[in-house]
Amino acid sequence: MRQALVLAVALAAVVAVPWIAPIYHVLLMLPFMAYGVVLLGLNLLFGYTGLVSFGHALFIGLGAYTAAFLTGLFKVRALEVILLTAAVVAAVVAMPVAAFCVRYVKIYFGMLTLAFGMVFYTFLLKFYRLTGGDEGMPVARPFLLGRDLGDMPKIEYLAGPYYYYSLVVLIVAIAVMWRIVHSPFGLCLKTIRDNPAKAETLGISVPHYRWTAFVISAVYAGVGGALLATPTGNVDPTLAYWTHSGNLVFMTLLGGFASFFGPLVGAFVFIYLQDFVMSVVPYWRLVFGAILAALVIFAPGGLLGLFPRRRVIEAA
Amino acid sequence: MGTSRRTFLRGATAASAIAGFPRVARAQAKTPVKVGVVAIRAGIAAPVGTAGLRGTEWWAERVNKAGGILGRPVQLVVEEESNPKDTVERYRKLILQEKVEVVLGGISTGVTLALAPVAEDLGTPWLSWDGTTQKGVEETMPKTKWSFRSVDNEVEAIAGGLLTAKYFKGVRTIAGINNDYSYGHDCWQSYQAVLKKLGMDVRPVVELFPKLGVTDFTSHIATIQQAKPDLLMTSFWSGDATILMKQAAGVGLFKSMKGVFTTAGGVHDSLKKEFTPEGLLLGYNTMYFDDPKGSALLKQFVREYKTKYNEYPPYECDHAYFCAESWKTAVEKAAKGGQWPGKADVVKALEGLEVESLSGKRSWREDHVMMCNFYQGITTHKNSYDFVTIDPIEVISTKQAMKPAGTKLLEWIAGWKM
Repeated sequence: MRQALVLAVALAAVVAVPWIAPIYHVLLMLPFMAYGVVLLGLNLLFGYTGLVSFGHALFIGLGAYTAAFLTGLFKVRALEVILLTAAVVAAVVAMPVAAFCVRYVKIYFGMLTLAFGMVFYTFLLKFYRLTGGDEGMPVARPFLLGRDLGDMPKIEYLAGPYYYYSLVVLIVAIAVMWRIVHSPFGLCLKTIRDNPAKAETLGISVPHYRWTAFVISAVYAGVGGALLATPTGNVDPTLAYWTHSGNLVFMTLLGGFASFFGPLVGAFVFIYLQDFVMSVVPYWRLVFGAILAALVIFAPGGLLGLFPRRRVIEAA
Repeated sequence: MGTSRRTFLRGATAASAIAGFPRVARAQAKTPVKVGVVAIRAGIAAPVGTAGLRGTEWWAERVNKAGGILGRPVQLVVEEESNPKDTVERYRKLILQEKVEVVLGGISTGVTLALAPVAEDLGTPWLSWDGTTQKGVEETMPKTKWSFRSVDNEVEAIAGGLLTAKYFKGVRTIAGINNDYSYGHDCWQSYQAVLKKLGMDVRPVVELFPKLGVTDFTSHIATIQQAKPDLLMTSFWSGDATILMKQAAGVGLFKSMKGVFTTAGGVHDSLKKEFTPEGLLLGYNTMYFDDPKGSALLKQFVREYKTKYNEYPPYECDHAYFCAESWKTAVEKAAKGGQWPGKADVVKALEGLEVESLSGKRSWREDHVMMCNFYQGITTHKNSYDFVTIDPIEVISTKQAMKPAGTKLLEWIAGWKM
């Protein structure tokens, strides 16, 4: 009951942001919602399956470049089509990548995902004529629910229709992921995470379940990447760089990978903390490094792990 | 409900968008004017960003000592330039949250390609230090209202080509080593196009594109040695220029070939005499710190920079100084009856404006592109420093070495009348 109340208040606050918050903070919520979608997927691997990916920026990059290609080269402006295509592209790429990666666990899995991510980053950088190389590609303003909205000032577009569109996508992503992790499939993933040998003896095909979780998480990252591209208006290879993957893991750790909503809290805190620290300290990366170290040492359960267990919605 | 949200949004953005209304200077006599700055502070380009920031800070100190702009002191609000996504967010923060009157800065073209459309949306002048809106060597935004762009990326390679024809006439084979990103590729392409147009019968024998940030060039140098070119051209602009020079000196590379370093003047005081030979062509981009014909302003700046930072200033200081000084001049020019002008009036005043900058006169072309001089010359040890300088000093104007508005680079070069 208390959990539902907290969620309702949080949702009401997010809905009210465009009315009550300064415009810049409204815009900061856009990457939060995009990363929220990405992290829900990442945590299916991390928190529920026990596999830490250091290469998920690959799928963000795929989603973002899908938006650039569709709106630019193919003149497809409907965001619904863009998101769907981003999901399909991410899934198609994830299938073979996952087939390689899920044969390994722990650091080997992490390194392999990192390697695939960097292969894609290099592809984006080197194939200049196709991808724009280091200069990237522009992303035209997408239509929302068939409406052009091209006459609207971009800030108003982002802080109004695009904001609520992103919020709906996030809510749908949450609902679907909630259903997934509370399904028999999600239960199997948790079993695999806790004891893969026992899962095998129970008849669970561990590689197959890991593969499926990987592909689902990639789809989430692809959709999140497509959402992330529009506010910037440009995509570039740094979206697929390994440090971006590292930020995703940081956000998940910050909020708490053991909780369903932990990664969302992590994304929110990360974005606002970065915004604040970047403005006041030139060496903000040092500050973030110190925070990460303190987090791992003193609060391995992340911010939501600081609360008594009954108050949070547990992953396990 | 919809109406109130729209009203709110309009109200929130109106202060920073679309022209703005003239405000009474009397009411703002003591109110600082906020000037936004985006500067690279980390990574391989941090020295360049730092130089730009120092140039801007020096300008702000001078302006404030002289009583500010229309009586208002300048307050710099600095944000970091990093990747396009984060920099776009910092840029929006400067305008929407900090309510700055202008944004200065931007070095990486990868970033400024993303910034320019945002600047156009937000309706606040943006004067880029070193970033363009070029895709490769071609302009992507020929008409901007609020964005003022730096010189085209490939100008120093074109200037280097012009001077190669003058100083290294007998060259028949050339090699290129440039960074593997758009700037490196564009410079190498432009340099060759100029040599070809100037009738130099040269043949490229090797072209290498190491990743930006590489610190070991021994294998590259071995490849160059094996190809035995008459001349090596590079557009390295950061610490890699110094490293290449050191490692090349180790094997006496420039005893057997000429060298053209179009952009290494950005790290000029690290090019020590002990490993940098005389006789190379070295480019300082748009400001040469040791110009004997330099203005009193340049000499004062170099002196104070050396005293404060124990370094000699590179060109980025002047890009930054010019952006700030031209904006100040435009504000004063656009002001009527002591009133602080609207942003659109300032933009109009900037178009075609020429001001005295550190390196001499600089101006904004009508299409919002920076016009200035490039300094290149032949390296010499005959100076009082422990690093090389240039003598003679060649000054090449952007009127000569930068494609005019609305033209395509290679077509423009091909159309030169010889």
